[in-house]
Amino acid sequence: MSTKSERNLTATPSRREALYGAGMGLGSIAFSAILTADDARAGVLSPRPQQLPAKAKHCIFLLMEGGPSHIDTFDPKPKLDQLHMTKFQKAVNKFEANMNTGERYYVKSPFQFRRAGQIGIEMNSSLPNLADCVDDMCFYRGLKAESVNHPTALYHLNTGNQFGGDPAVGAWVSYGLGTVNQNLPSFVVLPDVAYPQGGSANWSNGFLPPHYQGTPLRPAGSPILDMTPPPGVTTSRQRAGLDFLKTLNQSHQQRHPDHADLAARMESYELAFRMQAEMPGVVDISKESKETLALYGIGGPNKDADALGRRCLLARRLIQNGVRFVQVINMGWDSHDYIDTAHGVRLAALDKPVSGLLKDLKRTGLLDETLVVWAGEFGRSPDNGIRRGSTAWGRDHNANAMSVWLAGGGAKRGAIVGATDEVGGSAVEVVHPLRDFHVTLLRLLGLDDARLRYLHAGRDKQLSQVGGEWIPQLIG
Amino acid sequence: MKRISLLACASFLQGADSSGEFSKLVEPILVRDCQGCHGGTQAFSNLDLRSRESMLKGGSRGPALVPGKASESLLIQALEGKGGIEMPPGGAKKRLPPEVIAAFRKWVDDGAPWTPAKISSKWTYDDADLWAFKPLRPFDRNKRVDDFIDAKLAALGIKPAPTADKRTLIRRVSVDLTGLLPTPEEVEAFVNDKARDAWPQLVDRLLGSPRYGERWARHWLDVTRYADSGGYSNDFERPNAWRYRDYVIRSFNSDKPYAEFIKEQIAGDELYPGKPEAVIATGFLRAGPWEHTGMSVEAVTRQLFLDDVTHSTASVFLGLTLGCARCHDHKFDPLPTRDYYRMQAVFSSTEFARPKLPFLAEENHEDPRSAAEIKNTFDYAKTKVSEYRQMGAKKLMEKYGVTKTEDLPKGELETVMNNGAGIPPDEFEKFKLYQKHMQIYKDSLDRFEPKAFAVSSGPMDGETDGGQQLRYPKRAAYRAPVVHILPGGNIQSPADAVSPGVLGLLEQYGEYPSPKIPETVEGRRSTLAHWIADAKNPLTARVMVNRIWQYHFGRGIAADPSNFGKMGKKPSHPELLDWLSGYFVEQGWSVKQVHRAILLSKAYQRASVNADAKFVQEKDPDNAALAIFPPRRMDAETLRDSILQVSGELSLDAGGPGTFPQINEDVARQPQHRMGSLAPVYHASALKRQRNRRTIYGFQQRSLVDPLVDVFNGPTLDLSCERRETSIVPTQSFALFNSQLTHDMALAWAAKLEGRKLDRDAVVARAFVEAYGRAPESPELAASRAYLDKMTEWHKQTPPPAKPARKSVIHKITSELTGQVAEFVQQGDPDDYEANLQPSDVKPETRALADFLLALLNSNEFVYVY
Repeated sequence: MSTKSERNLTATPSRREALYGAGMGLGSIAFSAILTADDARAGVLSPRPQQLPAKAKHCIFLLMEGGPSHIDTFDPKPKLDQLHMTKFQKAVNKFEANMNTGERYYVKSPFQFRRAGQIGIEMNSSLPNLADCVDDMCFYRGLKAESVNHPTALYHLNTGNQFGGDPAVGAWVSYGLGTVNQNLPSFVVLPDVAYPQGGSANWSNGFLPPHYQGTPLRPAGSPILDMTPPPGVTTSRQRAGLDFLKTLNQSHQQRHPDHADLAARMESYELAFRMQAEMPGVVDISKESKETLALYGIGGPNKDADALGRRCLLARRLIQNGVRFVQVINMGWDSHDYIDTAHGVRLAALDKPVSGLLKDLKRTGLLDETLVVWAGEFGRSPDNGIRRGSTAWGRDHNANAMSVWLAGGGAKRGAIVGATDEVGGSAVEVVHPLRDFHVTLLRLLGLDDARLRYLHAGRDKQLSQVGGEWIPQLIG
Repeated sequence: MKRISLLACASFLQGADSSGEFSKLVEPILVRDCQGCHGGTQAFSNLDLRSRESMLKGGSRGPALVPGKASESLLIQALEGKGGIEMPPGGAKKRLPPEVIAAFRKWVDDGAPWTPAKISSKWTYDDADLWAFKPLRPFDRNKRVDDFIDAKLAALGIKPAPTADKRTLIRRVSVDLTGLLPTPEEVEAFVNDKARDAWPQLVDRLLGSPRYGERWARHWLDVTRYADSGGYSNDFERPNAWRYRDYVIRSFNSDKPYAEFIKEQIAGDELYPGKPEAVIATGFLRAGPWEHTGMSVEAVTRQLFLDDVTHSTASVFLGLTLGCARCHDHKFDPLPTRDYYRMQAVFSSTEFARPKLPFLAEENHEDPRSAAEIKNTFDYAKTKVSEYRQMGAKKLMEKYGVTKTEDLPKGELETVMNNGAGIPPDEFEKFKLYQKHMQIYKDSLDRFEPKAFAVSSGPMDGETDGGQQLRYPKRAAYRAPVVHILPGGNIQSPADAVSPGVLGLLEQYGEYPSPKIPETVEGRRSTLAHWIADAKNPLTARVMVNRIWQYHFGRGIAADPSNFGKMGKKPSHPELLDWLSGYFVEQGWSVKQVHRAILLSKAYQRASVNADAKFVQEKDPDNAALAIFPPRRMDAETLRDSILQVSGELSLDAGGPGTFPQINEDVARQPQHRMGSLAPVYHASALKRQRNRRTIYGFQQRSLVDPLVDVFNGPTLDLSCERRETSIVPTQSFALFNSQLTHDMALAWAAKLEGRKLDRDAVVARAFVEAYGRAPESPELAASRAYLDKMTEWHKQTPPPAKPARKSVIHKITSELTGQVAEFVQQGDPDDYEANLQPSDVKPETRALADFLLALLNSNEFVYVY
């Protein structure tokens, strides 16, 4: 439970400032008003000032589930060409998972690489469109995760805590900054064809009030759960029901004039009705130009690119409509076998949607205020184990090395930060644990991890868990 | 305020130390303020401050230490806030005191001699923050709850609200004790009962109802995080966990003495080895999320369990949050890291077990229909897996040019059996899906087996349980693993070994001596259990009566029920808390007697409205003095159960393996990853009497919580939930006003009311009484008539939608093998699914009545309890 005194935000604006400070429409006033009764308990979603000066106002987090290989994307290792198929034994270590021990062999990358942009990054040639954007991007090769297990590593990346239950990054950002459009959720998740391991705990509000929970938008049907009533319920029938409900509630309220929650709950029905009216327009991409759709790979021959392109375009539309944090999930990077096909298909599906998003944000002027993050839960190993009875050119999980990148929102433009060893087994330069990356993301959004805290179970909790430092090389 | 210094008892004084400065002044600070972040393999800035060597090596900014040259040492610069670094972080406010920095300077200038001592404690505490650890005030038999409440109100000059009317009272106490609404007949009987003891009679009747245990067990399961699955990547079923849930329900219903309840849950297997009930109780120790797979590290998952059980035992029974002490001495409470690991050592010999335990007569373990359904699904998956293996073997035989599997090279056949070698990549995802389903349904079949999800001291040969990946030693060769202090919580850098022990703070402040805990395999947990479940333990009774109080009034006497330390809120009525604790013990730890003491008080029976609201609001804005009875929104379970109840659809079948309620269809059909493949589709139980059971009997899957429960602030299942929030968010309106479930229930309710053959006004009146416990007032009746007329007309004009066709479910997964999206057709609802009543089954008048009833279910008067 948060009370005002427990909020460690630098400045909590008064209600008046919150309501009139950001040029919000009627709807937002209504939503703030519904929280009056509860705000001592639950906190409010009204916009709050940044704690630190920063450019980014929104964040689009492109989550690459499964652990994309840094070696096969943005951090090539020619040394592996020499070592290819060289076998070695990795001793059983009580602090290593079974997966990473035993007889192993090195695997070279099956992909071609090219040099791109002014920064001259060596990157996979199957990303020709993304190569156009590299001078706006900041590649980081020094990050280390802690777990090589998907659910724990995903929880770690998404919530700062390997063991789940804590608020997701998007929930912390919503808590810190509030949101601009009160008719839409502050933190939206655009899942892939299936939910990742660990499910909705990856976008949980944890111990923060439920207003900060990530709302998954479904690609078909009712975008938000039960936002669409059952078949046969028309708008007029629904309106009549709401009006009658209001009559019942008003009669009841007269008998309980001091019970503040009643008005709040009555207003929440009206807000829900408004959300129901506004959301379909936001998610409808049919009004976008053909050229824009093509930019994202929508309508092209690659079905996977079409699907990811739709989510990326939807992310831009949500940001434009005032959503604070959008997480786009792209699954299937867990290429233990046959990485040439498995990663090859993923990369082909990634190129247009993600480059399209960066180009579109840039030309609409949104890139300056939108931080785009691309990351998986860990990187992959330079070597592989014996599976399915034979050697297959794939890679296992690797928490010691990975590639992530940032673009826009005050991140450094055109930079390659950090480095891994000659086979990509471990980060060796500008090495930071994941919590420092989290602190950096918050800082880019104008939030200070050390001050963005919430008292839970007797402890002041924060995204980094124990505090961390920001990575100056990633900030422009 | 008296300050108590721990300096004198700190162990570092015992360390050998030639120079003195280091072990007395420098090392304690390094341990307390630095090594939490700068220690271990994940050290901040790669700087490890745990040894002189690692300091000299330094981190990403270079060496931390230049021996003999304090001013040139980064360590000193950071402590002084010079050179752009500031440590500890947090600005000048957090800077260490000048004398400490001077000691560091002197130490470095002296060449930084490193003569380590033991991990130390050096803290001071405010007396007022130690209230909970002190002995209970003497129990005064002549006092009553109201004496304490009234004294505080009088001191504040507040006149409390009058007694609530009887309709309000019966609704309040029925929801409070049973989680269900009173029936119209119960309301009328109570209203008309003019006996002086009508109220205590009502309380006793409700306390004696089996529904009471179902309601109050839910509170306990919130705190202990009960679930039927383990969470993480596979979220595997815990097929026998339901026996713990039923154990808790039975314990509340039979008013098991709380001391006994504690002992059974912590050490039932040791204390009562022949008593199945007590072994089932130890499911408490394993309630947290846990998983071990080929991708996890055994040392890590074992530590995860040990940390979880240590935290959980301390927070559930003692109201202490130990989390901080895992990494460093607790910053606010007298909980040194050493004590944390000593308590952890109590559990070092606690191993997972799934012993065979005969079903008790009172356990409902039979569900032939679901058992048969699971068996069929399992067999189907097994057949498919076998077909795919044959396909793989055939391909391999072709590859090697042989005709019999025996002729394949050694080891090749195993690769087919285990890993599906030979199966073409485009079929491989299906093989994996069925293999996963086999694994999942195999566990589900075990639901009906007489086994317990439990623990044992040392492994039980043949009945261990922790997944096929864990290696257990044989019992004969087993020794209790030694527990080490892990500075920073890091398992890779163990410090001192510790012997098992209890938390020292109660001996220090509570006049309650610490027992010696044996170092044998058995007996550790029983000693701990006895230490907790003892009248002299000042925390145990206080924590429990405070929880009970909170569920009655919405707020504890101490408002943070799982944190009685410094950071928890101080009790509003400390004497009352102690009096109730004393009463609890005196009444033989009877929970029901505590309910009676509270429920029979005037404080509990007050109205929720105060004539002088403004004055009260000013004097006591949080209503901590309880001048009025605080209104509450129904929690998620009460809301769902009450909706089913008024609709006439609630099934009171009790106990046994979890059943599957009707949930939002999009969520039910949502594909969800399980390690390597997808989970099966969620299917609501086919029979109404199963799927319409009380919410507590629903299968608790960690990765798939009923969205209706979730949106109304249900617990997360992973974290202990000490108190439900009651936020108001628009998605709640969607869940109640738009969902298929509430529309279905409103229609069922309409059909039920029509069965009474009443005229329209009487139907409206009956609906009001069922939902609110009162008749409508005339303007309400008029508005209801008008709405019914309007909707009847509308439904006459508008044909109902056709019955939804039964659909199969298409699931997709992005194959990690090919990168392509693979599709599966998953099974839809079974043929004998008992469908809910549909709009097309009824007349327009009934559909209009359902619209009216849906509004009632959504109304404030329905969801709030006064």
